[in-house]
Amino acid sequence: MTRLTRAFGRPLALLILLFASLWILGLIAAPQVIMIEQSLWRMERPEGSAEISVRIDGLYNQLDVLALDRSAVEAEADASIRAQKLDTSDVALAALEAEIAGLEATESTPVKVYTLANFAQMGSAHFAIFLKTIVASLAVTAIALAVCYPIAFAVAKLETPQRAGMIMLALVIPYAINELLRIFAWQMILNYNGPVNALLGLFGVEPIPFLESGTGVFVAMVYAYILFMVFPLYNVLETLDSNQIEAARDLGASSWRIHTRVVIPHARPGIAVGCIMTFMLSAGSYAVPYIMTRGTAAPWFTQLIYNRFFEATNWNVGAAYALSLLVICTLFIFVMMRLLKVSLKDIAK
Amino acid sequence: MSHTGMGSNLVLRIYMALFFAYMFLPLGVMLVAGFSDYSPPSITVWRGGTLRWFSELWADERMWSGLTNSLIIAVAVILLSLPMGLSGALLLSKLGGRAGGVLYAVMVSPLLTPGLIIGISTVIFWRHLGAAAGLVTAILAQSAFIASYAMLMFMARLQRLDNTLQEAALDLGATQAQAFRRITLPFLRPTVVTATVIAFLQSFENYNTTIFSIGGQHTLVTEIGARMRFGMSPMINAIGILFILVTLIGAVIWGVLRQRERKLEDLR
Amino acid sequence: MTGQTTGMEIELRRSEVRFGSFQAVQPTDLRIAPGEFFSILGPSGCGKTTLLRLLSGFLDPTAGDVLIGGKSMVGTGPSDRPTALIFQNLALFPLMSVLENVAFGLEMRGWSKVRRRARAMELLETVALTEQAGKLPAQLSGGQKQRVAIARALAVEPAVLLLDEPLSALDLKLRQHMRAELKQIQARTGITFVYITHDQGEALTMSDRIAVMNHGRIVQIGTPDEVYDHPDAAFSATFVGEMNVFDGKVAAGADGFARIDTRLGQFRATNPKRLADGATTLMFVRPERMRLLDAAGVAENRLAAVVQRRDLEGAYSTLTLQAQDQVLTVHLQHLGGADQLAGGGDAGF
Repeated sequence: MTRLTRAFGRPLALLILLFASLWILGLIAAPQVIMIEQSLWRMERPEGSAEISVRIDGLYNQLDVLALDRSAVEAEADASIRAQKLDTSDVALAALEAEIAGLEATESTPVKVYTLANFAQMGSAHFAIFLKTIVASLAVTAIALAVCYPIAFAVAKLETPQRAGMIMLALVIPYAINELLRIFAWQMILNYNGPVNALLGLFGVEPIPFLESGTGVFVAMVYAYILFMVFPLYNVLETLDSNQIEAARDLGASSWRIHTRVVIPHARPGIAVGCIMTFMLSAGSYAVPYIMTRGTAAPWFTQLIYNRFFEATNWNVGAAYALSLLVICTLFIFVMMRLLKVSLKDIAK
Repeated sequence: MSHTGMGSNLVLRIYMALFFAYMFLPLGVMLVAGFSDYSPPSITVWRGGTLRWFSELWADERMWSGLTNSLIIAVAVILLSLPMGLSGALLLSKLGGRAGGVLYAVMVSPLLTPGLIIGISTVIFWRHLGAAAGLVTAILAQSAFIASYAMLMFMARLQRLDNTLQEAALDLGATQAQAFRRITLPFLRPTVVTATVIAFLQSFENYNTTIFSIGGQHTLVTEIGARMRFGMSPMINAIGILFILVTLIGAVIWGVLRQRERKLEDLR
Repeated sequence: MTGQTTGMEIELRRSEVRFGSFQAVQPTDLRIAPGEFFSILGPSGCGKTTLLRLLSGFLDPTAGDVLIGGKSMVGTGPSDRPTALIFQNLALFPLMSVLENVAFGLEMRGWSKVRRRARAMELLETVALTEQAGKLPAQLSGGQKQRVAIARALAVEPAVLLLDEPLSALDLKLRQHMRAELKQIQARTGITFVYITHDQGEALTMSDRIAVMNHGRIVQIGTPDEVYDHPDAAFSATFVGEMNVFDGKVAAGADGFARIDTRLGQFRATNPKRLADGATTLMFVRPERMRLLDAAGVAENRLAAVVQRRDLEGAYSTLTLQAQDQVLTVHLQHLGGADQLAGGGDAGF
């Protein structure tokens, strides 16, 4: 704080602190904390509600007895005694009814209970979808890496800087078109009546239900997020001194060894960023499965989260599901950082 | 000529051409289908060209209100995320050690978090405070991660700021605020411009965070998403064509501006 | 261990390199003896680096032939040539330890880990870096990096070591030290050294022979003494060391010597090109070969000039003289005590 004041003066330092804490606390930390909290509780019938209902049953029995007594009293001849007895019986009845009403209220008013039940709610079906989403996202990431590495290397090391700049600018164009529209185009391409099946038909192949089988989701997902792999890889390979490659070749390294020993070690931060982004976007993608399947294939985990929130409106379970996804993504980040020996500073370009 | 190997070079070039075809194929499909007089959208059936989808789009009230909402959100996000991102960057520039590291991790975390989780957590948080989801929650959710982009951009720029300039200004009698206004801010101006553009694009094009945080309201993009589910109008491709057009114009303008900038630098 | 390697002969036969319409290296014939320390000296852009790439195998000649050890190398890649290259920026692999750097070439040749480590340690010992074996290149000083690069190149036991201005990044003291070290290594190993430089001091102190290069052409080849004392081209005269230049005409040419008429009088000079009477020519005089004379004295090779300024350089002082419209430079050995040169006086050589 003193350092901040000394650098910017008091008013400016306060303004900086204000905006920074609005962001860090108000927009990042607090919502996450509340979401985690939400995932850890649910409204339950209160503890001991079984005993309460037994007691309520008992009280109803007493009530019946009292009512019987009362109807017996009505037969009493002496008017004054009858009125007096009826009064006492009415008072007893009212007290009993009040007690029943109170107990019933306790029994049916749910209380907030901290529990892990929201996570346990997932059940085997949803857990299978969860696993499928993770595995498929890992596969998307691996494919994107395999496809992009040669591209990024070719553009960064074999083209002149001007041409490389042009190529990268050209790649920004499809990236700037909205995600949904690009996915929709793939939906048309892979449609049962689409051009791919039409082309296959020319060779006598029966139409393949790409969309219905989930293949479409996969293809479109690789397409939608591949550029998040290309750019980090390109950026890091561009900084590789070409002399490094030549030195390795001069010392007798084959192309394969040049890549495994010199280029890939240098590209580690880019590989980490690309993989983390691609995995995170794939696992957290709602648009791709939503558009590609239109409800015809087994859903992606994000669709389950959406349903918990906006269709089943069970926010506690929804928050638990969302948190599970977040944990997996965070885990993936740590694994990548560990595996590739990079720090968070290296990751954020 | 060189021993990088002509053969493997050729293979790489073919591979690159294929990659480009893959990247641009969907855009081509969009172009054809957008002008095709056939519904549901298809490129295998051709019944002649039409501009019908564009006029339908023009007459679509919800698309227009979505566009208005998108613009409102984008402007608000810019106004919110740039000062926040800049504040974060300035804070980090004066904060070293462990505290700086932790703060940095928190500030970049929204970029590494799935968008839908940012959207959901924002909605949950504001419902606790009694506010329902709507444009405001969408703005706040988007700002949370767009400020991270701004922070990274400002930080990169600040690292190249010569600290002696500021010291010289202070030595010449400027207050810290004056030094900030006269030295630091002008130095950051180019970044302010690019950060504004990036923030606008990120906000305008966002789907994942917005759909989970906007409640009953809609933006242009969430409306497009809704249309894709209910009925398959080629109107969507008409929007796609407009997006391509705007992007190309943007790319050309950007290229021209960069060329002019380079020429100016050459003149110096 | 393989025994001591010996240098190989290098031969260029009408080798030339064109990049499109740009002639980087003119057709060149060159023969470098086995075990020779051969320098190629020239300004940047003269084609010396291209020549080096021709020898190292990163480039094939557009025409002509390149022979090493009597075998044509055209079409042979850098990994398969008996050469090793030391890059201008050294190109040490930043993510590998010093030991791994030195062992890299052996690793590429399939040596076992134990053997290559032992050999690399031996080499590190010869350059006095065993202590640094586990460090990363970034943790070393400039001179240490230099020695790692040398050890790394020597590890593959090349017959020819190619050096691309490797000392240019060092400060003066270290540079002088490394010159001696390089010379020592060359003498010890008997490897042919081809040393590229734009620094005449480096070329003169280390080389057995020097090739002076300009505009893609070798203009003179000779021992350091020959090149310095008997430049046979205007370019090598002015590029190697300082020169005073006089326009003139041959008055009386003879074998070995000639009388030259200039605006400042007639002078006697060597005539290496055996110019005939009446030929216009340039006469060169080294600044350290000129002396200041009293008004009376030797009659030959004498001119009148006015001293403009004197700069003490250390071992000698530089005088700037004005002789009519020509500015002359004279180096005088500094023997202590300011000379009483106020202005005016005669110069002779």
